[in-house]
This record gives sequence, C-alpha cells and structure tokens, in this order.
Amino acid sequence: MSKQLALSLNNVGTFYWRQAGYLRKERFWALKNVSFDLHHGESLGVIGRNGAGKSTLLQVLAGILRPDRGKMINHGVQAALLSLQIGFVPYLTGRQNALLSGMLIGLHRKNVIERMEDIQNFSELGEFFDQPISTYSSGMKARLGFSVAFQLDPDVLLIDEVLGVGDSDFQRKSSAIMHEKIRSDKTIVLVSHSVETIRKLCDRAVWIEDGISHAYGDTFDVLSVYEKQQSIKS
Amino acid sequence: MILSTRYRDLILYKALADLRAEAAKTYIGFLWWVLDPLIFMMIFYVVFGLLLKRGTPDFVSFLLVGLVSWRWLQNTIIHSATSILGGRGLMQQVYVPKIIFPLVVILTDLVKFGVVLGLLLIYLWLAGFNIGWAYLALPVLLLTQFLLIVGLTLFVAALVPFAPDLKYLVEHSLQILFYFSGIFFSSSTISENYKTYFYLNPMASIIEAYRDILMHQKWPNWLALALVAALGLIISLLMYRWIMRNDHLYPKLVQR
Repeated sequence: MSKQLALSLNNVGTFYWRQAGYLRKERFWALKNVSFDLHHGESLGVIGRNGAGKSTLLQVLAGILRPDRGKMINHGVQAALLSLQIGFVPYLTGRQNALLSGMLIGLHRKNVIERMEDIQNFSELGEFFDQPISTYSSGMKARLGFSVAFQLDPDVLLIDEVLGVGDSDFQRKSSAIMHEKIRSDKTIVLVSHSVETIRKLCDRAVWIEDGISHAYGDTFDVLSVYEKQQSIKS
Repeated sequence: MILSTRYRDLILYKALADLRAEAAKTYIGFLWWVLDPLIFMMIFYVVFGLLLKRGTPDFVSFLLVGLVSWRWLQNTIIHSATSILGGRGLMQQVYVPKIIFPLVVILTDLVKFGVVLGLLLIYLWLAGFNIGWAYLALPVLLLTQFLLIVGLTLFVAALVPFAPDLKYLVEHSLQILFYFSGIFFSSSTISENYKTYFYLNPMASIIEAYRDILMHQKWPNWLALALVAALGLIISLLMYRWIMRNDHLYPKLVQR
C-alpha cells in the first residue's frame, strides 16, 4: 500500500452502559474487536447485519465514542458523520435551521452564512426557505437536511446507509451527488447491509459481525467471504 | 479546556434559536415570559398578602423581590437538569462538547430573568421606592447570584445523566430551600438560635441583599456576597472542568 494512512483501528472495543434492572447498569460491548486501516482517497464499505455494531463503529470513527480497549490512531484527519436534519427546531424557519444545523455539524457561523444561497438553491425550497419548518412536509425537511449536511466537507466522510433522501426527484438528485462524491478521491466510510451498494461503490470493505471484524481487504474478497457465510447460515 | 469560538458561537445561536422557538410556539409568544411569573406572584400575593394578612404596606414589593430572584435560580436549575439527557439525539450524531447543553439553558434563562427584572424595577419605582446610591451594588449582586446559579446548574446537569432519578431529588430540594430562603418572611422574624443556620443558605443572603438595595437603599452585606460569589465561582470552575474531562462518558450513558 503506497497510499497514506488516515485512520487505523487495532483491536478496538467499545461499550455502552445498559440498564440492567433496578439501580444497576451493565456494560454492553457493542464493538468487541475491530481492526482495519483506512487510507486517503479510499472508499471503505462496512458490511454486516443489523445490530452488528456498524453504527457504533461510525460513532467511534467520528470521535463521538472513545474506544474502551484497543487503539484507534488518527493520522491527522477530521472525520464526520453525514447527519441529516441535525438539531432541527420545528418553530424556526428553514434559514434559521440551516444556520443552527450547519454550526452543529461542524461549520463556522460565517461559512454557513456564506453558503446560505447554495443551501437554499440546492434544497429547491424557494420561498418556503423563510417559513417555519413545522409547515414543511417530511420530503421538504429531508431536502433541507441534505442540503445543509452536504455543505460539510470533512477529510473523512462517514455515511450510514442513506444515500438518497426526500421525494422521488430529489432522491435521484441527492443520490447522484452522493455517488459522485463516493467515487471521487474523497475518503469515505460507507455503512450498509446491502452487498450491492458496497460492491458498486467501495474499493475496500470490512465485514463486521457481533462487534468483531471478520474480514478486511478488497471488496470482492470480503463480499465473497460474507456471502458464503450468509448462505451457510440460511 | 476553553471552548473554541465555533462552540461559543454555537451556544449563543442555539440560545437565541431556543428563545425564538419558545416565543413562536404559543399565540402570545414571549408575553408568557412576563405572564408566567406574574401569575405565580399573584398566587403568593393572594395567599400571603390578602388571606393571611401578613401585610405591612410594603409586603407585596418585599415578596416580589424575593420571588423574582428565587425563580431565576429555580428555573435555571430545573431546566438544565435534563439538558444533557435531552441532547442525546444530537450527541450521538455529531461530536459536541456536552457542556454546551447546560450553558445554553443558563443563557436562555438569563434572558428571561432580565425581562422579569426589568418589570420588577419598574414596579418598585411606581410603588415609590427611589433609586439610591445602593443601586451601584446591583451589578455586583447580579453577578454573585449568576455565579451561584452557574455552579449549582453545572453540578446538577453533570450528575443527573448518571442517575436520572436525581432530577426528582433536585426538585424536592429546591422546594425545601424555597421555604428556607426568606422569600415571604424577613430574617428579623427568625429566632436568634436559628439565624446562623438560616444564613448557611446562600439564597437567604442573596435575597436579603436585593431587598437592601432595591427597597431600603442600603448597601448589601459585602462579606456575605463575597462568600457566596467565591462559593459559586469555585463550584462553577470545578464542575466545568469535571464535565469537560468526562465529556466522553455521556454518549455511553444515554445510549439505548
């Protein structure tokens, strides 16, 4: 591998506190032992069933959760989740929510203000942009959410399943722009339980099951191991 | 340990957004910030001023001064108790320093208190209490109470996520403290034996200081204020540091 390292995980494990009856909490290890490397310019797919720990893994990569054992080395990158409709407040206008949400996902106030026109145009909300979002349909909210989230351009973009959002036209548009982004030189970690999505979009893949990384490498190899195991189970 | 400009901007804008949203969700909007304390005060006036006839002529003013100051403390603490828990959706999707959640509440409640304090001052002038030199001590007193509020608020906000039931304990403690803060009685009516204990409650000194300044044109008890301010500052700094240090624990606690 000649590519530069962005993030390395060595035997990473993370737990949550889970309520276990009256006044008692127990540790639940959502991730037990995960190892892989992420290089610059790579699209890494994370495959696994629901509840395998994929979303927790993204939280660790985003710095939301700290590994409780093992080690994650950040080689000087900023990683962030593509999070839609973060911090939306129903009674505020689209514009006010765009500013609030933009600041929450990690942009500076003045950057959001500079890009406000782009956000408004991309969202196709027109004059609704200055109406309270409590008057929006769910499709309109999704459009606003995507338009804001898309402004964030971290070194490593972490994506959880959703690629296209909103009503059908916007879904096509947002999904196209996401695909373009993933195929570009951008460093991406994409979580999905769909083999097809990962095969189509990722150069490398890691398979997570029960919080453990079972296979890591080229997408083709990892997916064939994954599919073989799935067919044995069923 | 100090928040970057980005997060400071975020706190300010989030506080503004919350205030706007709160005003927007009811028909009469921010009038509730005035009506809500007014109704509360009316109840106390009816019970203690009219029914129980504790009325010296100044009793209404006496009561209002105590209630306004008390409600600033009580509202901020109660609102912030669940502020970090309330941010769980957010903190699971983006990294934010958790201290932001109680700080936003402290700011929004500060603004609402400002509105009510303005009204109180107008009322006192209309009721014939003159502005004296002692008013110069008012900013010092406000800052002292603010430090106390920040300290207690951060303390409560930091601990409640670890044991959400603490919230009820906090509410009951405030209820008890309310009756021991001299809001509807003056410290001069307490038996000498208990006076020392009475002043162990920092709010007792604070409320007395408001009355000295606003009603009696007298300088407050500086020593008492200095002690309260020091106490508030120390707790604030300790809790700020503690929350920043344990920042990574909160997303683990609130996950379901």
